Amino acid sequence: MKHLPKHIRPRWRYLAVEIEAAPDADIDRGAFQRALWYAAGNLLGDAGSADADLTVFGFEYADGIGEAIVRARREETAAARAALACIDSVDGDSIGLVVRGISGTVRACEESYLRDRSPDLTEESVAFADDQRPAIRRDDVAELSLPEGFVAATELDFH
Amino acid sequence: MYEAVAAYPAGDSTVSRQARTAADYGYDGLVVRTREADFDAEAISDRYGIEVVRGIEVDAADPQSAAGAVGNYRPECSVLLVRGGTDVLNRYAVETDRIDVLTRPMVGDGDFNHVLARAAKTHRVHVEFDFGPVLRASGGPRVQALQELRKLRELVEQYDVPFVVSVTADSHRQLRAPRELRAVGEQIGFSPDQLTAGLDAWGEIVARNRERADERFIEPGVRRGPYEQ
Repeated sequence: MKHLPKHIRPRWRYLAVEIEAAPDADIDRGAFQRALWYAAGNLLGDAGSADADLTVFGFEYADGIGEAIVRARREETAAARAALACIDSVDGDSIGLVVRGISGTVRACEESYLRDRSPDLTEESVAFADDQRPAIRRDDVAELSLPEGFVAATELDFH
Repeated sequence: MYEAVAAYPAGDSTVSRQARTAADYGYDGLVVRTREADFDAEAISDRYGIEVVRGIEVDAADPQSAAGAVGNYRPECSVLLVRGGTDVLNRYAVETDRIDVLTRPMVGDGDFNHVLARAAKTHRVHVEFDFGPVLRASGGPRVQALQELRKLRELVEQYDVPFVVSVTADSHRQLRAPRELRAVGEQIGFSPDQLTAGLDAWGEIVARNRERADERFIEPGVRRGPYEQ
């Protein structure tokens, strides 16, 4: 179909979202989009969810950190932010996320708010709570493998 | 703006990991609810630029045991929280001046009413709005949590009860930035100012208790002067 004249096209805003999950969590664009729709549907209802029209545009994720660009209607950025905040887990992996900023174009969004990827993960053994524990480490943070499960820590805890 | 979190061993992240994320999200301070948590507040604040405050959340079955814990832990911490959840515990908490915050008053069998609201105001006990279920539950439990938040909000507004807001995060991944919380709050009927006030209130409690712990402090408005007896 012929595209709309410029003055009646919808106005969009692009939200730069930073994602953080466990290093072994496997998240892809489709799963994140599903979680987003689910969160929006539950919080805003069908009508609000349709108004916000949330779409995951860019998505990059590897080894526990990722970035996404989420498109929303210009008037609905507050609703979009709220729906994003309600995404608790993707495919059963709990995730943390934060909106770094909002732009009018995808390119401005990437350039202004999304950082380069952090250094790669290293696996090493660290001293935690009087014992040596295997850990997956990036920068100053690490996921320690303890008998009761993974614990997230920073290097201030290693001693 | 402050947030109050549970940390390892009660949660999945250590205090420093929670603090790192909270600082990144724009919080000025962090209240740790877990008594057993082991941390060095100064090292964390030097490293990540966020104030970390020791709090203790008392989780007791009845007012008698809560009273014992309150007496024991009050000198140890800057913020003393008591977990509500039954009518008698809620009543005990809002009528005790030594308690700073009544957490999760509506969970389980707990309920809140105008009598408790008035008492909370008189004794300056803050009531917690728990945003955890709003962010992490779904379906029926979430609807109930929203209903309870609304009831509590109406009482708090009517009787001008002091309140705090928290997402009761067990792990740094459950934390959300203040701006996101304001957006969620707006969707469920809170004003953005209320959310900000609720997050700031943690800081006010910390400041108030610091002042009280000061050796020059005698009672509100009265301080020891610079004179030798």
